[in-house]
Amino acid sequence: MTGLPDPPDRPGDPSADPHAGPSADPPADPSAGPHAGPSREDPGPHAAPGLRAYGPPPVGASAGPAPAGPSAGPPLAGPSLRLSPRVLLTEPIRTLPSLLLPLTGVLFLGGFSSGSFGWAAFGLVGSVLYAVVRWATFTYQVIGDRLELTRALIGRSVRTIPLERIRGVDVSSPPLHRLLGLAVLRIDTGAGGSKQEGELDGVTLVEAERLKAALLWHARARAARRAGARGTVAAHGDGPPGAAVTVPAGPFPGTPEPAGPSPAAAVPPVRHRTGETLPERVLFVVPRRWLAYGPLSGSYLLTPFAFVAGAAGLAFQWGSELRIDGRIVVGAGEWLWGHPLLLGGALVVLVLAMPVLGAAMYAVFNWDFTLRARDGYLVAERGLLTRRSVSLERRRVRGFELVEGLAERWAGVARAWAIVTGLGDSGTRGQLLSVIPRRAALDVVREAVGPILTGLRPHPPVARRRRLFRAVFPWLVAAACAAVAARSWPPLWWAVAAALVLAVLGVPLGLDRYRSLGHTHEGGRLSVRSGSLRRSQVVIEERAVVGWTLRQTWFQRRAGVLTVVAGVGAGSGGYAAIDVGEAQGVAFAAEVTPAWLAPFTEDAPPS
Amino acid sequence: MSDRTEQRGDTAGAGSLPGQVPLRPPANPVSRKAIVMWLLDGLFWSVLLVGGAFLLSGWIGDGRWSWLPEWLADGAGWLPALTAVLVVPAALAEPFWRYAVHRWELSGDVVYARSGWIDRQWTFVPVSRIQTVDKKQGTLERVLGLATVDIRTASHAGSSTIKGLDYGVAAALAERLAQRAEELRDDAT
Repeated sequence: MTGLPDPPDRPGDPSADPHAGPSADPPADPSAGPHAGPSREDPGPHAAPGLRAYGPPPVGASAGPAPAGPSAGPPLAGPSLRLSPRVLLTEPIRTLPSLLLPLTGVLFLGGFSSGSFGWAAFGLVGSVLYAVVRWATFTYQVIGDRLELTRALIGRSVRTIPLERIRGVDVSSPPLHRLLGLAVLRIDTGAGGSKQEGELDGVTLVEAERLKAALLWHARARAARRAGARGTVAAHGDGPPGAAVTVPAGPFPGTPEPAGPSPAAAVPPVRHRTGETLPERVLFVVPRRWLAYGPLSGSYLLTPFAFVAGAAGLAFQWGSELRIDGRIVVGAGEWLWGHPLLLGGALVVLVLAMPVLGAAMYAVFNWDFTLRARDGYLVAERGLLTRRSVSLERRRVRGFELVEGLAERWAGVARAWAIVTGLGDSGTRGQLLSVIPRRAALDVVREAVGPILTGLRPHPPVARRRRLFRAVFPWLVAAACAAVAARSWPPLWWAVAAALVLAVLGVPLGLDRYRSLGHTHEGGRLSVRSGSLRRSQVVIEERAVVGWTLRQTWFQRRAGVLTVVAGVGAGSGGYAAIDVGEAQGVAFAAEVTPAWLAPFTEDAPPS
Repeated sequence: MSDRTEQRGDTAGAGSLPGQVPLRPPANPVSRKAIVMWLLDGLFWSVLLVGGAFLLSGWIGDGRWSWLPEWLADGAGWLPALTAVLVVPAALAEPFWRYAVHRWELSGDVVYARSGWIDRQWTFVPVSRIQTVDKKQGTLERVLGLATVDIRTASHAGSSTIKGLDYGVAAALAERLAQRAEELRDDAT
């Protein structure tokens, strides 16, 4: 176990060698584990060559010798660290539920004999031992420009995460972790999927914050240096996509000509100089009374039903494991069906519970939603039991999406998401704000990302007809089908009535959908809006556009409209202006990226 | 661009006649052999569908599905014929229609492609934003000496697929795009 020699990252660095030895030793005293980083710096011998400040300036608790030249960024080799030994408590407790059933099964099968207790105890001890082995064999370490997660059990697997690929670090602490002062640190590399992402489950909160700051600082430092280097070797296009040059939102940076990089590269390194620390700034803390708006978003209203479904699923699963006969379950269901009053009562209770449980659930997840600006990152933090914090690199933010459901529009509230390049699972991670009044949301978003675009251009009246048709016609067809079938089975007349009601409701819905449609382009940014039950307006920088798709169905062709989709390498990948006039749509794309469409547009003046 | 000021009007775009997308067709047609490919493809699916309809009508005819209305069960024999009438002409027309629509062009460092038949699609992919260029060949394409060029950016909506190119043309295009993309690489996204 004492192995894990750390090959010095750069042979040329003299300070790496003497250190690699001692620091590789696992801390003998487990209690020293979690704080190994800071506390190891304290003793004299290590502090002396301590220029290798492992922590970055922002946190650097014990990193007294603040790096003289942060921008020089010496190759770093931090000590190889372990998770907090307190995970030995969380790990078995977490695996307990999955062990419980087999264990009780063993007890039952063994008829509670001493032998069966022995086996159960063996299982318990085994799980604890397993946790210990897992803890003892896992180490993590920052070496030079990468983070290495090493698991050395029989073989040795090393996951290497280049620091400059790190796009965000999430720190969250589930309830049990919280009790013990632990946290889970997730490292997002934008690789998509969990394949290349790293997870440290069970570091102390202090260590989590330190590591997060260190990782983000180094990640930024490397990226900035790379960007600077690119400036001198401009337009060589060898850097990974991560090292993107920040092109200032000039008039038309979208032009494909390479005029962009060289002048642009001169600017951003100044802004993103390594180690530059801006004071943390709280952009917004959502007041607790606004938690009341939560259930308006709709999804949380289904909480009671989700609970019931979950309970039923669990009952079935446990039922089969405990060998309860399926007929009993079916019998119970039939008995319930035979007592419609009871069933109805339960349904009423569930419906009444919708707003209450929904609000509670929403509050648990969105408690004290806080948005901060820190060091080139936007940090959104929320949650009551599990506190979740997501860091979004501002350099990668390309715009935002403002979402308002029907009820939310009635109440004048909205939600906001950031559109970030290379952010996986952006639906949950990109959220900038919980449900808050629209005006406040726009203020915060303006400060964090940019102002919203107003004065959307309307789409042609044909689009109104199309929206109406699409909102009404399917229900009419359903009504007709149900009517045919109802002639042989009368209860279906109810379905006919329901479909007709929905068809009537489709009229205002279709009209509102049309009113929502709009697109515009102004000041280097474009915006599209659509939807009624869930109206969404997207504002993105034009430099984020990577291509266009214009689509026209046969019906659209007859109506003289088409759908223009701006391909964006962020968020959902494409944002559509639905049912734009043919000339209008082409002109829109040509206006945003003139150089791309100019060679192909016909100069036929649109009447 | 010239009509930028016009867009604010409520009737913008509605004034022009339907079916008048102000884009000129891309310069290059796809290979003529693509017609053969689409034809074979269409016939394959027609056979499959008509065969399926035949089986279905056989099952219905057995009278096992008593809940079906009388007239439907009686008319089941017509199902394969009806399917054939609908599907076969479409399968025969589609290749020629597609050949008229499918075109592509690379100029001004932008790949411009048009595709579809009943529905249409125009894609514009600037070479500077290309991430990968793939050249693919399915079985049928190999037999016919055709290839598909797959041009990908960071977004599915900013990506383009050009089917039915002569292998030599596809190879040259892919090669040229990859080379040019390397020169122009723009990491803004």
